[in-house]
Amino acid sequence: MPPSTQTAPKATNKVGLRVPTTALETVLVILSRYREASIAVVAIILAIYFQLASNGAFLSSQELSVVLRDTGRFGLIAVAEVMLMITGEIDLSVGSTFSLAPYVMVLLSLTWAFPIAVSALAGILLGLLIGLVNGVITVSFRVPSLITTVGTFFLLQGVVVSIYNSQPVVAPVQEPFNEVFGENLYGPADSVWSLHGLTAFTPFLWTVLVVVVMAVVLNRTTFGLHTIATGSNIVGAREIGVRTGRIKVYNFMIAGAFAAGAGIINTTQFASADPLAGGPFLTLQAIAAAVIGGTSLLGGSGTIIGALIGAFVVATLNNGLVMIGAQATVSDIYLGTAIIVAMILNVQVDRLRARRRL
Amino acid sequence: MRQNDIAAISPNAPVILEMSHISKTFGAVTALVDVSIRLRKGEVLALVGDNGAGKSTLIKILSGFHRPDTGAIVYQGKQVHFGSPREARAVGIETVYQDLALINDLSVYHNMFVGREYHKHVLGFKLLDNKKMRGLARTYLDTLGIEVPSVSSTVDLLSGGQRQSVAVARSIYSSPTILVLDEPLAALGVREGAHVLGLIQNLRQQRSVSIILIVHNYNQVFEVCDRINFLHSGEIVLDASTAETSEEELIRIVKSGLGRQAV
Ligand SMILES: Nc1ncnc2c1ncn2[C@@H]1O[C@H](COP(=O)(O)OP(=O)(O)OP(=O)(O)O)[C@@H](O)[C@H]1O
Ligand SMILES: [Mg+2]
Repeated sequence: MPPSTQTAPKATNKVGLRVPTTALETVLVILSRYREASIAVVAIILAIYFQLASNGAFLSSQELSVVLRDTGRFGLIAVAEVMLMITGEIDLSVGSTFSLAPYVMVLLSLTWAFPIAVSALAGILLGLLIGLVNGVITVSFRVPSLITTVGTFFLLQGVVVSIYNSQPVVAPVQEPFNEVFGENLYGPADSVWSLHGLTAFTPFLWTVLVVVVMAVVLNRTTFGLHTIATGSNIVGAREIGVRTGRIKVYNFMIAGAFAAGAGIINTTQFASADPLAGGPFLTLQAIAAAVIGGTSLLGGSGTIIGALIGAFVVATLNNGLVMIGAQATVSDIYLGTAIIVAMILNVQVDRLRARRRL
Repeated sequence: MRQNDIAAISPNAPVILEMSHISKTFGAVTALVDVSIRLRKGEVLALVGDNGAGKSTLIKILSGFHRPDTGAIVYQGKQVHFGSPREARAVGIETVYQDLALINDLSVYHNMFVGREYHKHVLGFKLLDNKKMRGLARTYLDTLGIEVPSVSSTVDLLSGGQRQSVAVARSIYSSPTILVLDEPLAALGVREGAHVLGLIQNLRQQRSVSIILIVHNYNQVFEVCDRINFLHSGEIVLDASTAETSEEELIRIVKSGLGRQAV
């Protein structure tokens, strides 16, 4: 190459847009443009790794039904956390709502012989109510949601364990409710394409449906637009007439309802309501899924699809490591590392955007 | 265009807005003391005063962002109580806030239409009509001669002046009855500032929208305003038409901190 032909001058972007200069910036730019895609790549690499390490057992229908069941459970709650995190809030009480709602559902059906579908609806309403309380305390009394929801977490966890002395109760099975919301676990004799085989995946399929709906809600509705506006610039949003308080409360209610729904689906599948089914660990796993999926806590941006992929990563780490013979607790080391790395990247990406450099 | 190019506002022009005896304190800080202002149809009113005089507080009360401790607002002949900026916008009062109220994570066109989105119905669901909003925003900004890289880029990519222009464009898009501009020229270069002043001058010539303009530059006050209200430490110390006063008098008032009473 003759010395006169210099490399082409850096593409001069449109007015006001700066072209990234360092390698790190370039990586961050790519991450911010293709958030979902970059986490999907991680998920695929993990799946391939476990598939190889487990001699082909990981992607068997049976194992996958377990991974996807967990993905569904984390994902449903993670989606709601993403919405809240976009508004700049968080809900740590979801783990106890997850235990309480199905417990109440089962007791209503056992005590007063409510049809299970009606009791399930009551459970969802309870979730909405919990969200309303979280939201009103946070918005009206200006208590940081981190504190509000730690409070409601302990309160509700205390309630649910005190009802029956921490005893799980057997949930009634009523068709078609159980067929629709999760009937069984995948057995070795099942074929994926039999209805019986497919019902092992219902919790996951419901979550996929919710993810699609919520992605549309976030990106294509006024509510979604106002949710982003609230978290991005709360004063500015109020100045132009966004009802930021309401938007936050509605998102807390979504979180309550989704946590209740996830708990109800879980109970339906296991035909048992366990007061300790949720707990703090579930809350944290759901938040981990949201964070690994590419949502930072800074507010104003987040991805619903990312949350689902993040949930798959969390579920894969949990189950895959056990499968290849690692100690169950080892997965926490990986999960912890993944959360920290993901969060550093999320915050850096958001920072760069805030400094108007992307 | 100096002010005598435009016919003076008729003294019989109907009063469109009357804010009377407005007081406001924030904890220990007294922001406004018994302030009254009056705005006629088509009039451009300058609100001037030192930093911290209470100008922004006054217009945020008008826009529904703050509630006054005492006092009343009569708009188009009726007493109004705005509970939120949404209500004020709904009846035709648009405000460009000093902080611009732009949402950094949203595109230029979403910023233009936040709070008054266009929808389309898909399978019975009310979804945002992004295509329509994008098109309208692009055409409108072009009409006003405001240049942005792209209406689809998020506003955090814009320069300070471009941001300010977008905020101004948003406020006049809906043809408001009252337009409130809190230092709309602060971040603008000479050319862009002149451009926005030109927009204001055009609106003034049509005499259809009434404008409250907060500016610090007295040249600009005399260029585009019909009246001046001088706010000092939360009180109106001067209320005069620009024809009856001069920059020298304003400067004298600033120095003495004393006013002469309204004409
Ligand atoms: N939200 C608030 N909380 C507490 N004090 C406030 C608030 N808003 C304004 N103030 C105080 O009220 C007074 C008037 O402020 P305001 O913003 O109305 O002044 P201004 O005339 O707009 O000044 P500037 O020219 O600097 O914009 C100041 O002392 C300010 O500190
Ligand atoms: Mg001000």
